[in-house]
Amino acid sequence: MSRIASAVTAIRIRDAVAAVDDPEYPGISIVDLGLLESIDIGPDGDITIGLIPTFSGCPALAMIADEVHAAVSAVNELDANRVEVRWLNTPAWTVDRISKTGRDTMAQEFTLAVRNKLEPVACPRCGDETTEDSLFGSSRCRAIHLCPSCAEVIEVMRSGA
Amino acid sequence: MPIPWTPAIREFVLAFADDEHLMGQQHTEWIGVAPFLEEDLAFCSIGQDELGHAASLYAIVIGEGDPTGASGPSVDNRAIDSVAFDRNPGRWRSCNLVEMPTQDWAHALVRHWLYDSAEQLRWELISESKLASLAEAAVRAEREEWFHRRHADGLLDILMPDPTAGDVLRSALADLMPVAVGMFDPVIGEAAAIEAGVTAAPFDSRLPLWIDLVRDRFDIDPVLDDRAASIQQHRTVRSEHFENLLSRMCEVLDLDPAAIW
Repeated sequence: MSRIASAVTAIRIRDAVAAVDDPEYPGISIVDLGLLESIDIGPDGDITIGLIPTFSGCPALAMIADEVHAAVSAVNELDANRVEVRWLNTPAWTVDRISKTGRDTMAQEFTLAVRNKLEPVACPRCGDETTEDSLFGSSRCRAIHLCPSCAEVIEVMRSGA
Repeated sequence: MPIPWTPAIREFVLAFADDEHLMGQQHTEWIGVAPFLEEDLAFCSIGQDELGHAASLYAIVIGEGDPTGASGPSVDNRAIDSVAFDRNPGRWRSCNLVEMPTQDWAHALVRHWLYDSAEQLRWELISESKLASLAEAAVRAEREEWFHRRHADGLLDILMPDPTAGDVLRSALADLMPVAVGMFDPVIGEAAAIEAGVTAAPFDSRLPLWIDLVRDRFDIDPVLDDRAASIQQHRTVRSEHFENLLSRMCEVLDLDPAAIW
């Protein structure tokens, strides 16, 4: 494969991966969530997609990997047997990997804020600072906050602390 | 330079994987029946993490031993399930603490704290492992473990000063301590793992530090008891509870052995 052809294929693969939504947030791409780490095209055309999990025990990992595998295999009618999806141990995921599009959609569609370490969290509705109600939310990656100004219950996707 | 993968090193990684697996399993026992909803969610999330760490460690056990050179993370989930569930009890390397059935809430909370405080010391010893996949898993796991400790410490901060709750928790501690010390009982392979740079030092070299943590946390001088090591025999002997636990864990798998998950 020439370098240009390889680059074009990589772009198509990236677009295919970007079409896969996170199962918990329909409408938010796993690429916007920062799960895509690498696309490697070998000299023989073997393709390896490297993904990183938000948390080690995320129960959606197998489902996401299957969907990415199917989406990538459909690009240029690639041979599915030559496409491999790997969950990488490193780097560790943080909310800093979420794109602006991802954050905006989370705020608008899911009333979901993100938090790195112990930084203050702004209410997605009114912008005021929230207070932590519980460290333990509806899934491992989320905590429950309250907004004292607009009384909204806010889910907060977190990392690092 | 990659370290040579030997049965001894495999056994060393397997022991940690088995502990994580069974501790995660025990935490999940509280789903739906924890004293209040927040605890239900907390134990669910924490158990999920431990099972995730177990899967990462099992992947290393399988992947590093794969002569085709496939590395841990690419290992198929079914291969992980196979090593996680399809082994004779004699091939497990878990410690007795994680094999003990879940009892009451006080025991669960104290065991959670004892396990996670020791687990932190265990990840630290391998965070600069020459086995790169293990060092990477340690770095990621340690980022997640703060959450477990914050949960256990948060509850104990509230409960320990209460005279009734404090007594119940100290009584659970007295029951659990002799078994908990067995966490530090090394597998025979540990010496080879140290030699190869897979781990920095014997895990039991951290026992005095851990005892100090226990003393500070529970404001009590724990009774030191070294029976666990002679009972476990380098983790080669399973406790009386193990077979029941394994059959419970495989209950759904056993419903239809031919099913593909």
